[in-house]
Amino acid sequence: MIQAFRRITLTAILLFLFVPVSNAVQEDAAESEKEIPIDVIGEVRDHYYLDLASYHLPLPRILFVEGSSIPQWYRSTHAAVESGNYIENPDHSLVATTDGAIALDMSITSHLMYFWFAIFLTLWLTISMARKYKRGEGRETEPRGWFQNLFEITFVFVRDEIARDNISDDKYKKFVPFLFAVFIAITFMNLFGLLPWGVTATADITVTGILALFTFAITQWNASKDHWEHVFMFPGVPPLMRIILTPIEILGLFTKPLALAVRLFANMLSGKIMIVCILGLIFIFAEFFGPIFGAGSSILVVPLTVALYILKAFVGVLQAYIFTLLSAVFIGMAAEEHEHHEEGIEAHA
Amino acid sequence: MGLLAAGIGAGIAAVGAGIGIGMIGKGAVESIARQPEASGDIRGAMILTAALIEGVALIAAIVCILLVFFA
Repeated sequence: MIQAFRRITLTAILLFLFVPVSNAVQEDAAESEKEIPIDVIGEVRDHYYLDLASYHLPLPRILFVEGSSIPQWYRSTHAAVESGNYIENPDHSLVATTDGAIALDMSITSHLMYFWFAIFLTLWLTISMARKYKRGEGRETEPRGWFQNLFEITFVFVRDEIARDNISDDKYKKFVPFLFAVFIAITFMNLFGLLPWGVTATADITVTGILALFTFAITQWNASKDHWEHVFMFPGVPPLMRIILTPIEILGLFTKPLALAVRLFANMLSGKIMIVCILGLIFIFAEFFGPIFGAGSSILVVPLTVALYILKAFVGVLQAYIFTLLSAVFIGMAAEEHEHHEEGIEAHA
Repeated sequence: MGLLAAGIGAGIAAVGAGIGIGMIGKGAVESIARQPEASGDIRGAMILTAALIEGVALIAAIVCILLVFFA
C-alpha cells in the first residue's frame, strides 16, 4: 500500500518536473490566444436537451406568443429554428423573427425532466409501499426485505426526529406526508446529479424556489391566531415599538423561505461547480502545458474528485434533511399556540 | 475589478462562516463532553445552527458568482 503510494507520488513528481520544460518553448507564441477549455457555467446551467451517453435527446419547445393563447409546439430547438419563426441566441433562448414576441417560454428543460423523474419515483415508492402496508405486510408481520426496512427507517426518522420534535404533539401528524415527500424528492434530485450524464435539478433556483413556496404556503395556511398576532400586533411591547417590529416581522415571513431556497440551491450549485472545476483542471493543464502534463495532473485530480463525490453524496442527503428540518421548524413555529407564554410577557410589560 | 471584488468577497464570507461554524462545533463538542447522554439533541441543534450560518455564507458566495459571470 505504502509502496504503491510512493510509486504514484514519484511518477507524479517526475511528470510535473519534466513535462513543462519540454513544452515551454513552443508555448510562448500561442499563449495569448488560448482560451480556457472548460465552460463551467455552461455545464451547470439548464439545457433544452437531455444528455444521454454520446447523444443529446432534444426536448420540446413550447412557446406562448403575444396575442394568442394557443402555445406553439416544436419538437426541438432545431425544429423551432428551421420553421423560420425564431432565431437561436448563443444562450439557446429563442427570439421571434415574425410579428409577436415570445410572451412566455414554457419549454421543457433538463432540470424540469429530472424534477419529474424525482417526483414520479417518490410517488411510485410511497404508493407501492402504502399498498403493501394496507395489505398488512409490515403492520401485522415484520417488514420484509432491505427495501421495506430502509423505507421504514427513513419514514420513522422523518416522523419522529423531524416532525414530532418541532411541531406540537397534537398537530404533527398532518404534516408528515408533506415533509416525507419533500425529503425523499430532494434526496433523489440531489443524488441524480451524481449519476453519469445526470443533472442536479436542485442546482436551479426555480426548482428550490417552488419547493420553498410550498413550505411558505403550508406554513401560512396552517398558522394559528397567535402567529398572526405576533406578526401584526406584537404582544407586550409599547405601541411605538410596533412601528419598527411589524415591518421586520412581515419581512421575516418572506426571508425564511427565501433563505431556504437559496441554501439548497447554493449548496448544490457550489458542489457541482467544484467538481467541474477540479476535473477541468486536467483539460486546462493539457491545454496550457501539453497532453502529458494533463495526464500527469489526473493522477492527483481524479482521487480528489472521488473524495468530492463522496462529500457531495453526503451533502445531498444532509441538505435534504436540513430543508425538511427547517420546513418543520417554520411550520411548528407558525402552528404553535401559546397563551401561557404571552401572559408572562404581559406581566413584564 | 469585478473579479477582484468577487474573490475578496468570497474570502471574507468564508472567514466569517468558518469562525461561526467553528464556534458551533466547539460549543457542541464541549457540551457533548460534559453530557454525553444528550449528544443526539446537541447534534441536531448543531446541524440546524450550522445550516443557518451556512445559508448566509452561501448567499455571499452566490453574489460573488454573479459578480464573476454576469457583472
